[in-house]
Amino acid sequence: MTALAALVAVIGGLAGAALLRRAWADRQRERAGLMAGGWAVLAGTVLLDAVWAGWVKGSALAVAGIGLAALIVVIQGRTVRAARAGRSASLAPEPLEGPSKAWRGWLKALLAGPLGMTAAMGIAFCYATWAPGDPRTRIIVGGLLMPVVWALAMTWTLADQRLLRSLAVLLGTTVAGFTLAAIRGLV
Amino acid sequence: MNNGVKQDAPRGWPLSPATVRAVLSGHGILGLAFAAIIYLVCLTGTLAVFAHDIARWEQPDAPSITAFAPGALDRAVRSAQVNGPAHATLYVALPSMEEAEASITAYTPALHREWAADRNGTLTERRTPIADFLIDLHVALHLPRAWGGFIVGLTGVALLSSLISGILAHPRIFKDAFHLRRGGARRLQEADMHNRLGIWALPFHVAIALTGALLGLSTLIVGVLAMLLYRGDTAKVYGLFTEAPPAINAVAAPLPPLEPLLAEARRRSGRAMPHQLIIERAGRADARITVSSERERLLVPQDTAIFDVQGRVVKDQHPADLVLGTKMLGGIGQLHFGWFGGLPVRLLYGLLGLALCIVTSSGVTIWLARRRDRGRAVPLWERLWAGITWGQPLALALVGIFGLFAPAQGSLLVWVWLGTTAGSIIIAGAARGFDASNGAVRVRHLVAASTLALALVYLVTRQIGLSGMAVELALLVGVGLLLRHPPTKHRREGQAAR
Repeated sequence: MTALAALVAVIGGLAGAALLRRAWADRQRERAGLMAGGWAVLAGTVLLDAVWAGWVKGSALAVAGIGLAALIVVIQGRTVRAARAGRSASLAPEPLEGPSKAWRGWLKALLAGPLGMTAAMGIAFCYATWAPGDPRTRIIVGGLLMPVVWALAMTWTLADQRLLRSLAVLLGTTVAGFTLAAIRGLV
Repeated sequence: MNNGVKQDAPRGWPLSPATVRAVLSGHGILGLAFAAIIYLVCLTGTLAVFAHDIARWEQPDAPSITAFAPGALDRAVRSAQVNGPAHATLYVALPSMEEAEASITAYTPALHREWAADRNGTLTERRTPIADFLIDLHVALHLPRAWGGFIVGLTGVALLSSLISGILAHPRIFKDAFHLRRGGARRLQEADMHNRLGIWALPFHVAIALTGALLGLSTLIVGVLAMLLYRGDTAKVYGLFTEAPPAINAVAAPLPPLEPLLAEARRRSGRAMPHQLIIERAGRADARITVSSERERLLVPQDTAIFDVQGRVVKDQHPADLVLGTKMLGGIGQLHFGWFGGLPVRLLYGLLGLALCIVTSSGVTIWLARRRDRGRAVPLWERLWAGITWGQPLALALVGIFGLFAPAQGSLLVWVWLGTTAGSIIIAGAARGFDASNGAVRVRHLVAASTLALALVYLVTRQIGLSGMAVELALLVGVGLLLRHPPTKHRREGQAAR
């Protein structure tokens, strides 16, 4: 059954991705019908696999299969061209660049690393102690929240130039989260 | 994912162009800081998906069975009880049509032994140093579990953050979703590859990063939670998820016959098939036998029947009895490693894992190419990065060769890996004549040669079977891809995506 479900995911992914490629090929106008059709095929593939092979197992299988199928469509439609050095400048990615002081670098590392981690833990433990439901579910959902919040904190602190604001928010979240969790306990 | 960031972000994109540039800057910093370790963890993770296949490949004489003969299970367990460390908990993986293998692990925190059982219950010691090495490198970098796990967990968080910032920094995410340009400026070529692989496999990458981060950080999370709520007693946190141990009774008592227990577990769980036995305190009156059974539509076994030493049912649990948290806990590892749906799922995971390795590698290449485009090339870093990206497959191939030649010397594999890693970085750094900016063709050929050597050494040192043939074939396909010349014109510009 798993092999067939994987095959369905890949075939559905190929069809959906092909429709989306056609929809986005024309840069001048939106092709809403094709776009909706592409997304509908992809969503339908996930739904079909989920109903057939099990909600979690089938969905996971479908997501992996669709990802691979879409990459096949991307690779199949690649363009090959000769080197044109001048063109890269106009389309080039432009991250924010400029002189930076060493202390700012260290502070950013501190914010994105240890402080981001403790703030994420504060939120996760706050969820684990205050949210409704069985404690085991709260702990696992809190555990999953922790890396997500830490990753968001990393993204934010590395992009934000106002370091004092980041520092205040992360410190405040840490103190509030741990305090609230300690007050409530795991009931 | 740092291509296509234009000053005029499309309508509806939530971030201003200035914010997009700032996020892209953070994406770059994070990527550079963690690139090498993310790459290592992704590469070993991709191989770890196939750990069971690699284990069968390196020990082809281990028995492969789909069922035990009558009475064989009891014989196998008795034999493991006698030959394993004292007071060990026995984990018996039962054979099935999908997983044609029965294994028994006798585990104590200090020592463990593992065997494969044949149809009659005769045990063969498992000796799979290459698969064990790969798993340990992926899970804990061969460091003490707490530290190694934390570093790998932190790597998962960094990867997750990179995925988030990559998406936020890509306003034309949908419009560019199918643009893959090969040839032309190296930076654009790498950026297209980086973005397309990153976006279309995004749900998979997020799932892998999130579950990996949680698995790696679990010790820390449980430790801090226990400090906060239970005065540091982590057993109280773990105790929420495990059965309380039975009352102590150390009087000697034999285990009950196991086949009737499996039959009873099957009767109670309807369509579920027994998958694993856990035998605690074997040989004592307080022994406990847990039978876990799996259903085809579920990610992990959720039917559990617990028996006492008399073979009486103590507890009987089914999916409807489990809370969501317990179900999630069981599924996290399976979802991370792709060990839930047989070979098709492993192949999907393997290919998408490879895509993640390319995303990581190309991220640094884009940064290096941008420096070069602006006349600020850093050839030393270009060489070092080539040393890391190509040095790791080389190191793993050499580990494989050493492991095949000397399976009893598994503890030395980490030194082979460490030596090759250090050597490749030092040599790449020192080789000033080596132009790493242009694809490192010679290094790629060196990796191909070492992979071919691994496949040939196998033919010399092992008797080839079906599972061995599959891995050999995969190695040869890898060699072919590594030796492949750069593609010729596939489609003229302007003709694509129609």
